[in-house]
Amino acid sequence: MSLETEVEALRKVPLFRGIDETKLRLLAFISDRMEFQEGERLCTQGEEGDSAFIILQGSADVLVQTPDGERKVADVKENSIVGEIAILCDVPRTATLIAASNMDVLTVSKDDFLKLLKEFPDISLEVMRTLALRLERTTRDLAAARSGAVD
Amino acid sequence: MEKSLFRFIWRFSARQQLFILLVTVFSYPISYVLLELPKLIVNDAVQGDSFPREVFGFEFDQISYLVLLCVGFLGLVVASNGLKLYLNVYKGRLGERMLRRLRFELFQRVLRFRLPHFRKISSGEIIPMITSEVEDVGGFIGEAIALPAYQGGMLVVQLGFIFMQDPLLGLAAISSYPIQGYIIPKLQRRVVVLSRERVKNIRVIADKVGESITGVPEIHANDTAAWHSSDISDRLYQNFRIRYEIFNRKYFIKFLNNFMNQLTPFFFYLIGGYLVIQGDLSIGALLAVIAAYKDLAGPWKELLSYYQMVSDVDVKYQTVVENFDPVDIYPVERLTSEEAVSLEGDLELKNVSFSGGAAGQELFDATLKIKEGSTCAIVGPDGSGRTEILQLAAGLVSPVSGRVEIGGQDLEKLAAATLGRQIAYVGGAVHIWTGTIRDNLFYGLRHRPTAEIEREGDDLVEYKRRLSEANFTKNLILDLDAPWNDLEAAGVRDDKALNARAMELLKTVGLEPDVYRLGLQSRLDPTLNDTFADRILAVRQALATRIAEDPKLSGLTELWQVDHFNNSASLAENLFFAVPSDADMRMDEVSAIPEVRVFLAEQKLDKKLQDIGQKIAETMVELFANVSGDSGLLGTYSFITQEELPDYERIIRLAKSASAKPGLADEDKMKLIRLALKMVPARHRLGVLDDEMRKEMIEARQTFLKEVVDKSPDFEAIDPKVYLPSLTIEDNLLFGRARVDRRDARQRIDEVIRSMVEENGLREPIVYAGFDYHVGVSGSRLSASQRRRLAVVRALLKNARVTILDDIATGLGEDDKKARAVLRELLSGRTLIFGASSATVGDEFEQKIVLDQGRIVEERES
Repeated sequence: MSLETEVEALRKVPLFRGIDETKLRLLAFISDRMEFQEGERLCTQGEEGDSAFIILQGSADVLVQTPDGERKVADVKENSIVGEIAILCDVPRTATLIAASNMDVLTVSKDDFLKLLKEFPDISLEVMRTLALRLERTTRDLAAARSGAVD
Repeated sequence: MEKSLFRFIWRFSARQQLFILLVTVFSYPISYVLLELPKLIVNDAVQGDSFPREVFGFEFDQISYLVLLCVGFLGLVVASNGLKLYLNVYKGRLGERMLRRLRFELFQRVLRFRLPHFRKISSGEIIPMITSEVEDVGGFIGEAIALPAYQGGMLVVQLGFIFMQDPLLGLAAISSYPIQGYIIPKLQRRVVVLSRERVKNIRVIADKVGESITGVPEIHANDTAAWHSSDISDRLYQNFRIRYEIFNRKYFIKFLNNFMNQLTPFFFYLIGGYLVIQGDLSIGALLAVIAAYKDLAGPWKELLSYYQMVSDVDVKYQTVVENFDPVDIYPVERLTSEEAVSLEGDLELKNVSFSGGAAGQELFDATLKIKEGSTCAIVGPDGSGRTEILQLAAGLVSPVSGRVEIGGQDLEKLAAATLGRQIAYVGGAVHIWTGTIRDNLFYGLRHRPTAEIEREGDDLVEYKRRLSEANFTKNLILDLDAPWNDLEAAGVRDDKALNARAMELLKTVGLEPDVYRLGLQSRLDPTLNDTFADRILAVRQALATRIAEDPKLSGLTELWQVDHFNNSASLAENLFFAVPSDADMRMDEVSAIPEVRVFLAEQKLDKKLQDIGQKIAETMVELFANVSGDSGLLGTYSFITQEELPDYERIIRLAKSASAKPGLADEDKMKLIRLALKMVPARHRLGVLDDEMRKEMIEARQTFLKEVVDKSPDFEAIDPKVYLPSLTIEDNLLFGRARVDRRDARQRIDEVIRSMVEENGLREPIVYAGFDYHVGVSGSRLSASQRRRLAVVRALLKNARVTILDDIATGLGEDDKKARAVLRELLSGRTLIFGASSATVGDEFEQKIVLDQGRIVEERES
């Protein structure tokens, strides 16, 4: 797969929807293309996060530590970005990612992603918009959960 | 040392000087006849009569007489020029020999300076003295005696002739001499003073430049570049001013000489003309005197310029030599003496006082005794006199009063052959020599050659020549090529055991893992040790098998296969499937080699690579055109730098405009090809390489192998069965590439390599390979802690009776504590003196001496 196909895939990631093609190509170029085999770890909860993953192909399980050991809480599929929280703010990985199948992943390192944001403010805007949307949704979910708890 | 240049010259080259003079005088009649003969040819042979003539009993008619004279002329031309050549070479050689003697003497004197003296002088000043400043002396020495003697003689003869013609005219001829003799030395004296100033000023400049280089991080860190630049600028102005003044005087002297010389004929014409008119002098005599005076001007000019040269060179000599005669210089025997006494017995300081010239470098009335074979800690903070006491005990510095003795022998009276071999000293600031780790490890064993080398043939002739030259110039005649490592002192039988001993010590100080890593990264010459290369090949094989069997590993690597394209390697490696023999050559530079260019053209690959390069350049320009230069994105990810970007933009514009007449220049095409060759498909993923092209490149490998690699020594083919000396040992072990598109592939495969190296017992040879690692200028490629540990191993290898360590492993942590225990264990039965700043460290040793402000304040006996 070449840059062009990666750009096609990136376009499907909601975060990058509004961004024009040359910038996506640049993003793809500065990312590292990695292959993960089923069962391989992308990252581990608690360790320092230095990159975000954009899944081009395959899917991964999201696991978190519980008192009874690791438990799967969700999965992430093609065309989604994971681990971006770790590269935007300095927090340890909030979950473990394990490849559920053979995966094709673009990894963007923290430094480069930040450089890109600085270089192209419209990407920052897009990222902000997506995060705000997500926050809004989370707040709504939280409110719903709370009212549910009151019932 | 001889204070004046002439004393130096006379003392060491009197015989040669007289010989030069003799030959010079001998050459005079030849030049004289050479000048006379043409007259004879014209007057006698061409215009003469009464032929045939008789010469040496043979009869000659006019033609053959002419031929005879001309042949004689030819012979004299050859003889005179041959003699000149011989004399010049002889003088040059003498000058060089004397220069060598002088330089060697100066260097040896530097080695004889006492340590405190080095606080007053800097290398920046000493280096130009030994190298450039004495250079002129060498050119002068050949002329030193012969020139004034010969030219002076000529002058006297000519003057005598003039005086014989007429005393009055003689006086006229020398009338300007008293004035010149009075004024010129006066002017010259000022020039001498100025030359001295100039030399000193240049020394300061050299010193400042040297200091700026050493301290360059400080300059950047403090933004003092302007200050340093102004400082140098000011010194340069001083230099200009001095030189300008010298020029003024020098050329004024010249002017004066010329003027005076041309003034004298004025008197000739006036006085001589008067005498002729009066009838006291014949017109012929006047003309002869005028001609003689013309001949007089030559020697006189030569003598004057000689005088200027002497004063210039002599001042240079003196300004150099005065720096090499400190009053307290060690006697030369201290360096050269072979006499080594055994330092058995207790070490004692008896009422020792020392002053390094500043507060905190002093020791007052110290008396102590350290028993032979015991361990003793000297405790005290920096400036307490700790370092001074340790250096005194090592015989590195001399007490101002009192005595330092080992077994009753005064260290002050012992030669370096004793002190430097039986005492090992490692100070706080260690020096690592530029060279390999091996050089540094065994440095403490290189006192004298331990054996002689058998030489024969040309080698022997050359060696004898070297010896005789050294003898001429009183240089040392030790053989640098002979083995120097003193195996006996190290307590080992042969070089192999010495290596093993060094390895053992490296392990004890914890330096072995570092050297192992350096070994993996180093290149090995398989001709030195073919079994090692074979073993590496065996591991390579085993590693390949393991990788093939383990799907996890095979996913991490792409091994070299002649019929497979390696996506984790650059196009250059894929296409050529060979590596340059010159390890310093980058792969993309290969395309500049003529054979490679021919190959690319023949295979019609150049156009295709150029197209690929163009596509890459287009993508790069497109991607990065809007990225600002300071973002750093370009530098990290593109194989084009920000500076090159406009250039590629230009190339692309040119390539695209089909109408452009000149098209791409050859150089631009090469740039594109190099760009293409640098691409690693799996990393750059530019999609510019199709399967067709991949196949073509794999096919081209075979042709390249046949056409270029087999014929050229510049390449080594990538072959699983061959050790490639231009690759590092690590790259030779893993015969391929860690995949760039797998996370941490390099680290994971490195671990596998390490474990296999251990399993196959290759670790040791690899560490030995690391011995040949070049440590950079003064060990700059090692960390500070590595340098210190290396110095400790060097000292331990000496196997000395007394080992003195200052500020080494003095930390309170577990690591350092263990290191101290290991050191004590290693040196048990021998004297160990350990300098530390912490009293708790001191408690570990049998004896403890605490210092404060240069006095012993506490002592615990063993």
